[in-house]
Amino acid sequence: MRKLLNILVKVLILCLIIIWLIPVVWLLVTSLKSENTVMTDKLSLIFTPTLENYKKAFSSTLLGRWLVNSLIVSVITTILTLLIDSTMAYVLARIQFRGRNVLFIFILAGMMIPFEVLIIQLYLELTKMGLANTLIAVMLPRLAMPIGVFILTQFFKSIPIVLEEAAFIDGASRFTVFRTIIMPLSKSALFAVAIISFINAWNDFLWPLVAISSSEKYTITVGIANFQGTHGTEYSLIMAGAVLASIPQIIMYILFKKNIVKSIAMTGIKE
Amino acid sequence: MKKIAGLAITLLLLVGTTAVTAQSGQKPLEITFWSLFTGGDGEFFDAMVKEFNASQNEIVMKTDTVKFDDYYTKLTAALAAKTAPDVVVMHQDRLSTFVPSGVLLPLDTYVQKAGIDLSTFEEAPLNNCKINNKLYAIPLDVHPIIMYCNMDLFSKAGITKLPESLSELISTAETIQNKTGAIGIAADNTTATYKAYTLTRMFLSMLMEQGVYVFNADNTKANFNNEAGIKSYQALSDIVNKYKLTPKGYDYDSSVADFRLGKAAIHFNGVWVTGLFEQQPNLNFVAVKFPALFGKNAAWAGSHTFAIPAQKSVDEKKIIGAMKFIDWMTNHGYLWAKAGHVPTRKTAVNTKEFKSLPHRADYADAAKYVFATPATPKWPQCYDVMSDQLEESIALNRDAKTALTKLEQAINDILKK
Amino acid sequence: MSSHYADHKKRDIVLFSLPYLAIYVAFLVFPVIYGVYLSFFDWNILSSKVFIGFKNYVEAFRDPEFLSSFSHTLQFVCISTPLIIIVGFVMALITIQPTRTGRVAETVFFLPYMLSTSVVGTLWAWIFQKNYGLANQVLKLLNLKPLGWLTDPSIAMTSIIIATLWWTAGFNMILFSAGMKQIPDEIYDAAKIDGAGSFTTLTKITLPLLKDTSLLVLILQVIASFKVFGQVYVMTGGGPYGTTRVLVQYVYKTGFNYFRLGYASAMSVILFLVILLISSLQFLRKPDQAQ
Repeated sequence: MRKLLNILVKVLILCLIIIWLIPVVWLLVTSLKSENTVMTDKLSLIFTPTLENYKKAFSSTLLGRWLVNSLIVSVITTILTLLIDSTMAYVLARIQFRGRNVLFIFILAGMMIPFEVLIIQLYLELTKMGLANTLIAVMLPRLAMPIGVFILTQFFKSIPIVLEEAAFIDGASRFTVFRTIIMPLSKSALFAVAIISFINAWNDFLWPLVAISSSEKYTITVGIANFQGTHGTEYSLIMAGAVLASIPQIIMYILFKKNIVKSIAMTGIKE
Repeated sequence: MKKIAGLAITLLLLVGTTAVTAQSGQKPLEITFWSLFTGGDGEFFDAMVKEFNASQNEIVMKTDTVKFDDYYTKLTAALAAKTAPDVVVMHQDRLSTFVPSGVLLPLDTYVQKAGIDLSTFEEAPLNNCKINNKLYAIPLDVHPIIMYCNMDLFSKAGITKLPESLSELISTAETIQNKTGAIGIAADNTTATYKAYTLTRMFLSMLMEQGVYVFNADNTKANFNNEAGIKSYQALSDIVNKYKLTPKGYDYDSSVADFRLGKAAIHFNGVWVTGLFEQQPNLNFVAVKFPALFGKNAAWAGSHTFAIPAQKSVDEKKIIGAMKFIDWMTNHGYLWAKAGHVPTRKTAVNTKEFKSLPHRADYADAAKYVFATPATPKWPQCYDVMSDQLEESIALNRDAKTALTKLEQAINDILKK
Repeated sequence: MSSHYADHKKRDIVLFSLPYLAIYVAFLVFPVIYGVYLSFFDWNILSSKVFIGFKNYVEAFRDPEFLSSFSHTLQFVCISTPLIIIVGFVMALITIQPTRTGRVAETVFFLPYMLSTSVVGTLWAWIFQKNYGLANQVLKLLNLKPLGWLTDPSIAMTSIIIATLWWTAGFNMILFSAGMKQIPDEIYDAAKIDGAGSFTTLTKITLPLLKDTSLLVLILQVIASFKVFGQVYVMTGGGPYGTTRVLVQYVYKTGFNYFRLGYASAMSVILFLVILLISSLQFLRKPDQAQ
């Protein structure tokens, strides 16, 4: 009985894994079909794969440029996010002052705003600042990331305060303590925030769409969206675009998989 | 940490400076231009712009494309901030949402200065670009809803005549459906992934065929809860509910794919799918104007136009340059016709190039029967509500009176605001 | 404590928090406040604003489309939140096993979270396409009746929830497995010695000790679910006939398609207040527990 149950559980787990994998496989399969063979009645698992969609994607667009733009935006966003979120979190985690909880809630409330409703206001603001149609405009609204502050604050709180006190007694400044003690100990949490920030920046669509007006400054998500036809949908080409836009994240995921999972896991919620 | 921060700041500055240097002017006049054509349309359009750029050396058009669903989001933001490009593509039915705010330039004086001969344009589409007697856009094309018929299925069922009235449409579709098992009428009646408005477009066309316009003269009240409206709604509902010639819950992608794969006898859609159907091997079809189901001919049509956003300061040289571009594009409408659209200029229609294109001539006269969508800023919202409610009422098989009374109420509420 | 440490406290607070707060205020708080301000105006984005007091708010509560969009959002929140949390939890139970299956499962379950909304939306729209999509082809293969995944109003929202589940459950899984890893092995060993079955261990040890994690997951998930937009926008566009239209989508449409930015702002303010209210109920409990 018990054995049977064990086997049943194993089979269920396997099924779940397969079900979770199917959409990704289907994404790849569709992108390798020609447009004419995509719309068919029968489940056609056997087909001659073609790279025509990928060739079309590369030939007709500024794909390489868009990838570079996305990379610039995502990398700089990630670095700056780490800087400002971690210093903010340090204040919230370590310095006692009146109104700290209020400040914390004030920052967390930012998580509750759907970004879509701010777009017009942001665009008018950044235009006034003379930053419309620059990659800087794409980055700025993404830098102050409340969930990053949240994760880091929780993590900093979990670091034993004894280490810092020793340094303070030696006359070290807060910045030195932050830089030499807190940051090195928080690698995993910083990594987690970096990942979230990078994914957000890379996948951002609506804001770069509005903020950037010339196609050579598009990010990959905005550029790829044009694979959608004016009337109706060419699925195979769109799927090829989707694969291309996702490859960098997937590569990153496979390379850093262990760290990503571990670091997000480690930060979880320590109290 | 410091190093990384330094690197980030340097990179930021770098990005900033390249943005600035890229703006300094070059010798030929550079005119910025936004387009919404992607997919098949995009290929034809971009090729035309390229040809224009190569045809002369005074003007260089710099095109940036954003796909249709997101285009107006971006354009709206840009118009509000006065950062719009020199020329934009705009659907005729959007003009009335932009014009009242003064963000588009009236073009009359510039038409003269650039020497564009307006008499070479078809009257209907050109007049649709006028608001309060001022010309705010120049039409590149009209893209009416038309009827596609699969001739192989027709002949398989022993039918040679294309349907020309409502009863013929139904009997033809019924015969073919019964004899061949194909779908009788492929016209989408639900929104999934892509909102095609086909039901609404057919409804508007059917009303107009009976001489009834969807709103009253000053666009303050709905004008379809009447005999013409009931007849039109009944026809649309019967096709789905009574004769079952169109499956329930039928989406746009299915309707196009089914016709393309030869599994549907009759397909209602805009002219833009012509190019797609032509590329399909072994699809023997004709494309003709929307049939006069209720006596007269009339067809809903969209129209792509060119408009010129008002800038912070008027740069007449650029505007004239833009007008020259528009002149060239509309004159070469036969190139654009490859994408299926109907040119708006007689000088483009009366060319060897246009006449040698298959199918286009069969529906080119559809341009004569097109009518304008209501010139009110409320139209986009009304259009969405009509589309939602027609889909809902037909899906739930509501009777005409109930459906139209409910719709009338909703539309009047919007128009009143 | 050194005097140095106390001396520079104020200066350090300012220096450390200034960069974040400056950007946060400039690019989040300011647009929000501006939005609140706009909500009292009739403004079509392009022409001048007209002050109309609370009229936009009054209109919202009488607007059937606002009310239906709001209820669709609530429906989405109520169904998707527990579902995504429970699946995430089950996934964590699977992946916490130090076996190869566990590691493979972890990789696979988290993978979708790396994809963008538009990729996820288009992919699932394609899978659920009525006549040619994978889901119905499989059903046909099994001799079952194909479903109108995105075209039948009674299941369209479920389809969107399925896509969202696939996309985001992995994130919750990771938070849960983090919590689980913090539970000392000794507790489990002790339970084993006492002869507790795996079900008892789950309900008596794992679940109670994951209270904090669960609360965090719940808050994050509720917030994320309330903000639902992208998947719906891409997969159904709110159809069939508005039955899946969610609030953020209606706000977006009102602002960008109907040019009623004042009204759109008023609706966003209402949404924000609702999210704030619901999540503050949860946040407020937190400090109490800590003390």
